[in-house]
Amino acid sequence: MATPPNMSAADFADGLSAMRSAVGADWVFDQPADLNTYRDFYSVLWGEPEEKVASAAVAPANVEEVQQVVRIANERRIPIYPISTGRNLGYGGSAPVLSGSVVLDLKRMNRVIEVNEDNCSCLVEPGVSFFDMYRHLQESGSKLMMSVPDPGWGSLVGNALDSGGGYTVQGYRGHFEAVCGIEAVMADGELFRTGMGALPGSETWQQYRMGIGPCMDGLFRQSTLGVVTKMGFWMFPRPEAWLSASVSVMRYEDLEELVRIANELEYGNIFNGMPGFSSPVLTQGNPIVMAMVPDAAEMNRMVEESGIPAWSFSPNFYGPEKVIRAQWEYVQSRFAHIPGVRFAEQSFVDLPISAEDMERIHKPRFGIPSLEIFNVGSRGYGDFNPSDGHIWFSAVIPRSGKGIIDANRVMRRECERLGLDLFMFAPAVTCWTRSFVLFAAVPVYKDPARNQHLREAVREIIDICAEHGWGEYRCPPAFMDDVMGAYSFGDHKLRRVNEAIKDALDPNGILSAGRYGVWPKHLREGRGA
Amino acid sequence: MITRRDLIKWGMVAPALAAGSQAAFAAAPQGLDALLVDERFPFDDAPLHAGVPVMRFAGDVTRVWYEVLDARWRERGFVLGGITGSDALFVLETLATHQGRRVVTRTPLAEPDARGVAPVSWVIAPHHPSVAA
Ligand SMILES: Cc1cc2nc3c(=O)[nH]c(=O)nc-3n(C[C@H](O)[C@H](O)[C@H](O)COP(=O)(O)OP(=O)(O)OC[C@H]3O[C@@H](n4cnc5c(N)ncnc54)[C@H](O)[C@@H]3O)c2cc1C
Repeated sequence: MATPPNMSAADFADGLSAMRSAVGADWVFDQPADLNTYRDFYSVLWGEPEEKVASAAVAPANVEEVQQVVRIANERRIPIYPISTGRNLGYGGSAPVLSGSVVLDLKRMNRVIEVNEDNCSCLVEPGVSFFDMYRHLQESGSKLMMSVPDPGWGSLVGNALDSGGGYTVQGYRGHFEAVCGIEAVMADGELFRTGMGALPGSETWQQYRMGIGPCMDGLFRQSTLGVVTKMGFWMFPRPEAWLSASVSVMRYEDLEELVRIANELEYGNIFNGMPGFSSPVLTQGNPIVMAMVPDAAEMNRMVEESGIPAWSFSPNFYGPEKVIRAQWEYVQSRFAHIPGVRFAEQSFVDLPISAEDMERIHKPRFGIPSLEIFNVGSRGYGDFNPSDGHIWFSAVIPRSGKGIIDANRVMRRECERLGLDLFMFAPAVTCWTRSFVLFAAVPVYKDPARNQHLREAVREIIDICAEHGWGEYRCPPAFMDDVMGAYSFGDHKLRRVNEAIKDALDPNGILSAGRYGVWPKHLREGRGA
Repeated sequence: MITRRDLIKWGMVAPALAAGSQAAFAAAPQGLDALLVDERFPFDDAPLHAGVPVMRFAGDVTRVWYEVLDARWRERGFVLGGITGSDALFVLETLATHQGRRVVTRTPLAEPDARGVAPVSWVIAPHHPSVAA
């Protein structure tokens, strides 16, 4: 049996036995076949001695059991790694960051505690998946819409805690942006509530995020500080309709103006859906893979020869038909001065969605969970085979035309130099309001030699991005130290502050060791190695 | 908990499905509660109508899982056989694992295509005591 680092088999067995008493023997897993299911199937360390694997997994049924497990771990210094549904494929799956940790699997805590139709909010346990929530909303005849990531099998809580994103409305689709109120079991086993949840009898936990003093919700985002057992979210009242349109321009030089005006319109709430930015002429082969941006003359020549626009911006609108049509009209007026600009209404959908529309829409745009993305060939994903695996590389880049072009060229050039394959390359994803995230999906292999090359290449790309001021918003465990290392202002003050908080709140270093480069004191020097 | 006897029984079912023979299908109802067929792979499933309910889909498992399997997998028992693409099996296996189930046997039916996807026959059975029959 694998044991946590620096722990004897006997001490570990004693800890597991105490955990069995707390949650029931059926809910403690330590057999290889069980632990195999907690591996990260998209691991860049697959099958290597360094692969991050669990020593055991424990699945408590309620908050009290979580508290007991955490206390047992804290007394014995057993590292534990909480997951909600553990579907973090591309960013670590359900495996811990520190090998030998006990995975605290919260899948059994799957109650939708409240959906408040008037407040447009919900309060859920960590095991509630997007599908569970959707079913709940459907069955209760709710008038609310949630935001979902592309695969709907993950959890509202786990996805938000890793800063996941969806495709719906501003303020909701950056999933942590919609969080209001967290309950967490801290390393000492005590229960903590953020915001108005700290005020006994308050009815405003899902209304006012801050409470009093520093806003504590952020302590739990991508963190190592607690086991989140409840989370509140703001939800969007289901709109009457959705309109998707496009603004296309015909010259390389027009991108800067296109992005500048689009930003102003979004920040001014003239459109509220997730905007898309692309280059039709550079994505002719595959709509989700953008080729290297050539120089202005070459790109303009390509546009002239093909008649295909250089750049496009797709605003999306949710709301009453009358309102969103007026908004679209106004959007058009703002771009009318650009020579050769083309406008098109791409799609209009009435809600609730008809059976016919259901067949043609991208469901996550409407808060409908789906697993369609795993179907090879779906939505232009080309040769994407879900059982092979990939990691996401996702760097925050400046929200400007120059930001798109610079990041595209650097990534394209460097990936080619390093021999790094990409099967998806979308240089301006806008799930998180006010930022562009350059997204690339990098294929992962079951072959250690190829993965070693991949790891080295990705590390180099992280450094190159950092030199340009671009940092990843999220990453798989194998790169967490590198990514945190790039956020180096003030001699790595960000990491040092995180470590100081870690030492204060989790002095025995039992929770989520190493997550996003924050290690407990006793593992800090070797960074878990 | 899956017993050795179960394993032997299901171990025979998957290759039997793979072989597609009448006799094999006749044996299937003894071990399976339902069969899932991925219509992307041409397959003569006429003999399957002899008893085992058949569910069909074409690559995307969302609907069949959301409308049928999610509920069945929350209950005890329910042994599911399938002939699907390996991509769909990956998704089903992940979902099944979460609900205390395991792929107990799998048999590739052809070489993977250029994208690495191959048709596979398989059996998913309850494993955890909370869902064991
Ligand atoms: C093809 C494909 C497409 C994808 N598309 C998207 C997308 O559109 N948007 C997106 O956001 N992601 C996407 N992903 C990534 C990922 O699949 C989702 O983000 C998924 O929702 C994360 O898994 P989860 O919800 O089960 O979270 P979990 O795996 O449960 O949690 C993620 C991490 O958060 C921490 N954590 C979880 N729960 C707790 C807790 N209760 N207390 C403390 N810490 C906790 C843990 O460190 C855990 O590792 C995609 C992946 C693939 C393979």
